[in-house]
Amino acid sequence: MFVALSSFGQGFQVNFQGQKQQGMGCAGSALNADASSLFFNPGASAFANNSEINLAGTPIFAHVLYTDSVSQTSYRTNNPVGTPFSMYGIYRFKKSLEPLSVGLAMYTPFGSTVQWEPNWIGRFALTRLSLKAIFFQPTLSYRINERLGIGAGFVISNGSVNLQKDIPVQDSLGNYGHAELAGKAIGFGFNAGMLYHVNERFSMGFTYRSKVNMSVKNGIATFTVPTALATSFPNGTFSSQLPLPSVLTLGLSFKSNSKWSFVLDINRVNWKVYDTLAFDYALNTSTLSDTKSARNYESIFAFRGGAAYSATKKWTFRLGSGFGFTPVQSGYVTPETPDANRLYGTCGFSFMANEHFSIDAALYATRMQRTDKNIETQLNGTFTSIAFAPGFSLNYKW
Amino acid sequence: MNKLHVIGLFIFTTLGMLSCEPKIKTKSPNKGELDVTKVIFIGDGQMAGYMNDGLKNEGQKNSLANILAAQFELIGSNQAKLPWLNSSSIGISTAGLAPFHLGYKTDCQGNVSLSPVRDANIGDLSCLTQSCYQANSPFTVFGIPGLRLNQFTNSALANTNPFYNRMCSSPSVSLLDEIISQQASFFQLYIGLEDVLDYAKSGGTHESLPSALNFQQNYEQVIQNLTANGAKGAIATIPDVTLMPYFTTIPWNGLSLDNTNVGTLNSIYNPLGYYFQLGANPFMMVDSTANMFAVRQIKSKELILLSLPLDSVKCNQMGVLFPIRDEFILDEGEINVLRAKIQSYNNFIRQIAQTYNLALIETDQFVSKLADGFTYNGVNMSAKFVSGGAYSLDGIYLNPRGNAHFANAVIKAINKKYNSTIPEVDANKFDGVRFP
Repeated sequence: MFVALSSFGQGFQVNFQGQKQQGMGCAGSALNADASSLFFNPGASAFANNSEINLAGTPIFAHVLYTDSVSQTSYRTNNPVGTPFSMYGIYRFKKSLEPLSVGLAMYTPFGSTVQWEPNWIGRFALTRLSLKAIFFQPTLSYRINERLGIGAGFVISNGSVNLQKDIPVQDSLGNYGHAELAGKAIGFGFNAGMLYHVNERFSMGFTYRSKVNMSVKNGIATFTVPTALATSFPNGTFSSQLPLPSVLTLGLSFKSNSKWSFVLDINRVNWKVYDTLAFDYALNTSTLSDTKSARNYESIFAFRGGAAYSATKKWTFRLGSGFGFTPVQSGYVTPETPDANRLYGTCGFSFMANEHFSIDAALYATRMQRTDKNIETQLNGTFTSIAFAPGFSLNYKW
Repeated sequence: MNKLHVIGLFIFTTLGMLSCEPKIKTKSPNKGELDVTKVIFIGDGQMAGYMNDGLKNEGQKNSLANILAAQFELIGSNQAKLPWLNSSSIGISTAGLAPFHLGYKTDCQGNVSLSPVRDANIGDLSCLTQSCYQANSPFTVFGIPGLRLNQFTNSALANTNPFYNRMCSSPSVSLLDEIISQQASFFQLYIGLEDVLDYAKSGGTHESLPSALNFQQNYEQVIQNLTANGAKGAIATIPDVTLMPYFTTIPWNGLSLDNTNVGTLNSIYNPLGYYFQLGANPFMMVDSTANMFAVRQIKSKELILLSLPLDSVKCNQMGVLFPIRDEFILDEGEINVLRAKIQSYNNFIRQIAQTYNLALIETDQFVSKLADGFTYNGVNMSAKFVSGGAYSLDGIYLNPRGNAHFANAVIKAINKKYNSTIPEVDANKFDGVRFP
């Protein structure tokens, strides 16, 4: 249904929002890596010495295989390539306003398309879910002193959802009915953080990205059913909402005296807010009633870490890994979120062409497996997911 | 470190990974202690694919036997051989009528609504007149609509049951001899439903329920013969038919009254002690023991049959001034008799399963579970007429999806008994009710 994310992350905290961070296990809240700090830690943006622009894209290649426990049949997703992108700009004031910088961030912290193969065994639970959200975040950062920076941004989220599934009623030729729920969603929140340089080597970051309640009003519900049942499934509008959880992050970074540096992020994601998925149809009939599906997500911790090696002034190489607990309890695994505890690996590099221009690239890879029997739909089987996300970004500073 | 090598490796790895998909790893089906050299299926209409009050090719394909046989093939069993009807035939009911489909019907008041409608005025009689027996390719599915337990040894069955007549090796051979000659290594037997249906569908007016002793003797005789060669098998209990839509669809209190009617009926029936109110009321039924007029209100536990002529109810005062006749109702006493008999038969079937060490399918549990309703891969199944998705339009026999669920219950029982791992079917791949 209208759900957070599919196959490549415990929700949206996976952080494909910066290539340098992605190369190091998606960690970097205690870094002022580049303009992407507007997302990772607005407090770190206070330490940007220049005005900067960062443009990035991270296509996601995700494949899910479902094997039904009782019939031993298997089905796959035919997901289109996910296309998260991000655009960041920081303007560093000079002279008397020097401690202040302003930024605008635009990023896609969640969203994907799950498309199951035709006639798959879970078709009456889900055939396709497409979820998109673009976050706009104007941000102010302030460098209190050489050690401490703070920052905060207001978040406006603009999204859309398209959920489809088959309805178990057949026409005279045996074709099943189909439901499509489509709507636009909007939500608000904020992103605040601070960065503290304990000493020359060691820094700490502390950030809080608030919950964003995505609400759909006047979504369009379209039902394709046999003529005889048309009045039972009236096309009309619906409303729904999806809470995207808050993320609290403690970040650490350490620079060794050699060419190595290390980062660690610990996230606390308050998934508990996602306890029910409800659809309220404007037109109810005896067959089309409002639905409330329990999701009962649990709040989770995720640990991410990585290292960077500055081979030369121009070249930097990165390696990282992370582990996130799943927020989805047993009995609640669904085809739209076949989630599991997740271990992943990343690597990446940067090339600094000159003092203004640089490029970054990173690769994320994960595989996970979850066997469950869903309480609501009774779907009983194993989801195996593989996801790769190679990302690329361009930086320009002046 | 050569950076170009590292970057080359990075790009190479990335491109290589993008097409990487999870590999399918499924357990291969195992036959356990089963000998599937020759598997045969024996039963009545349910086994044959009788549904929507008729047998036709489409139903045969989705019969309990054919669904099960396909799964047995996964563990190396023989292909099922059914007495196929021609796929172009409209099919035929045990009474010679054409099967039902869901269509529009105009009632006596001129209201049009969804209702089971016969595909044609009469069934395809020609499909039953030709023998389809082939000596070199014997049948493995003996699903015979209308078959009762006491007919297994009847050497004249072919004369009375055309469904048997067209598939037997010779009209004078009894069904029991026919199946013994198959020398099956495994048999699936589901019999006894028809033995109780005749009584139930006649509203208890046919005193045709076999005595417990007769039932036991006949059942044991069949099992003795089927297991004489050491064959293993699975047998099934008989469901409580009163949970089927044929008996549960028309409500006991379906008599809806306005103020005028309430007044009229109260003036007529109050002297007998029956009272009516605005809205839903119990129908009036015939009961010779009730009073001198042999009429009373139906009780909430009593069941009105789907055979009730609804136009007579809507337009001709049936169930009001003209009480509903006994043949359309299972009254409390009849229900008790029926359930007690089914229970006694089932106790014996369970005993037989133990004695002969056979798998036991608790059909009555399956039918109760349907009556309670359950969710299967996102689809809500129940015993409701039409909308429940499991029973065909005759309200008794399961439709393809119902058969698939029943087949899964059978597979579970067999797997448990014989340590086999025959996969269950995806029941949602089978048709429910088709709507116009």
